[in-house]
Amino acid sequence: MRSPRTSEVWRLGTVNYLKSLKIQDKLVSERKAHQIPDTLLSLEHPPTYTLGKRRTDHNLLIPQSQLTKIGAELHYTQRGGDITFHGPRQAILYPIISLRSIGFGARNYVETLERSMIEFASMYGVKARAGNKCETGVWVGDRKIGAIGVRISSGITCHGLAFNIDPDLNYFEHIVPCGIADKEVTSLRRETDALLPSEEVIHKQLITCLANAFSYDDVVWKEDPSVILDTKDDE
Amino acid sequence: MALRLLWASRVASHLRISVAQRGFASAVLKDLKYADSHEWVKIEGNKATFGITDHAQDHLGDVVYVELPELGHSVSQGKSFGAVESVKATSDINSPVSGTVVEVNKELTESPGLVNSSPYEQGWIVKVELSDAGEAEKLMDSDKYSKFCEEEDAKH
Repeated sequence: MRSPRTSEVWRLGTVNYLKSLKIQDKLVSERKAHQIPDTLLSLEHPPTYTLGKRRTDHNLLIPQSQLTKIGAELHYTQRGGDITFHGPRQAILYPIISLRSIGFGARNYVETLERSMIEFASMYGVKARAGNKCETGVWVGDRKIGAIGVRISSGITCHGLAFNIDPDLNYFEHIVPCGIADKEVTSLRRETDALLPSEEVIHKQLITCLANAFSYDDVVWKEDPSVILDTKDDE
Repeated sequence: MALRLLWASRVASHLRISVAQRGFASAVLKDLKYADSHEWVKIEGNKATFGITDHAQDHLGDVVYVELPELGHSVSQGKSFGAVESVKATSDINSPVSGTVVEVNKELTESPGLVNSSPYEQGWIVKVELSDAGEAEKLMDSDKYSKFCEEEDAKH
């Protein structure tokens, strides 16, 4: 019998992108040193465009100088995947998981992230599916509702998934989302007639779907986000 | 799976080494050394060639990008020197030995999929000049590595 697996969940509200990277770096080191269990960050970002390791900035369709005018930031990251947008009313989960502890590789991990989002969408009667080859992510028909971009170092994950609850989809007009030109972006609001509960409830549901997909025996909901938000090295 | 063993045997006879005939999916070649982060290394005198194993490429999915180090770059055993991208995930690759990069596989820039289709041959990633030949002792041989893979895969 395998030993019971625990995950700690931090719900952080709106977090600036760079700050979230600092928090993840710290957690990845701590996870690698076995100082913390698998940890899940649940948050949102202010309007932010991000690029992956391949730096596909040709997929940003407006000049960088225009970004402040539309109230958005741009960041280059080490995650996989192409360009994407994060903003209010988009639920983000950053799992900091030791893949070696569960014998997972990148493929299993990403497939499980996809399954989590599909399961979550089904709670609202939305039939979502995983993408075809080269189209990692979660789709409703030909419309993308959930995106994935992950980094794995020494078997520990960071970055993660972004699920569109009801973000301002106009922001996606300024990019070729995920480098896929002819497909739309959609949201839970657009795909369901069901009444959407509060953000807090929605985030909790998404977290629960992910925790189930990864077969955690025990989920510890951390109450005080200031513990990891108030990092001393706030330069 | 039969096809895999056939491929592995062909690779093995070309490299003049023998294949560990096991029941599971990934091919493990004898006469190579292995790191627990799933890189293989072939040591010839003071030079070493390395890449990622069949187990690694299978667990990664289709590789779409390989980040290669610069020539002359120093690598250290167990430390990251580059990365591969697959299924929207970038995975760091760790160096199984310490040394200086003398050659990188430029084919991987145009054809990153070689890492999947030929992880021990055309999908090699880096050649280094070793700085510490004794370090190879810390690596696993093919039997140990096969067992290691079995144990990892049994975790889920």
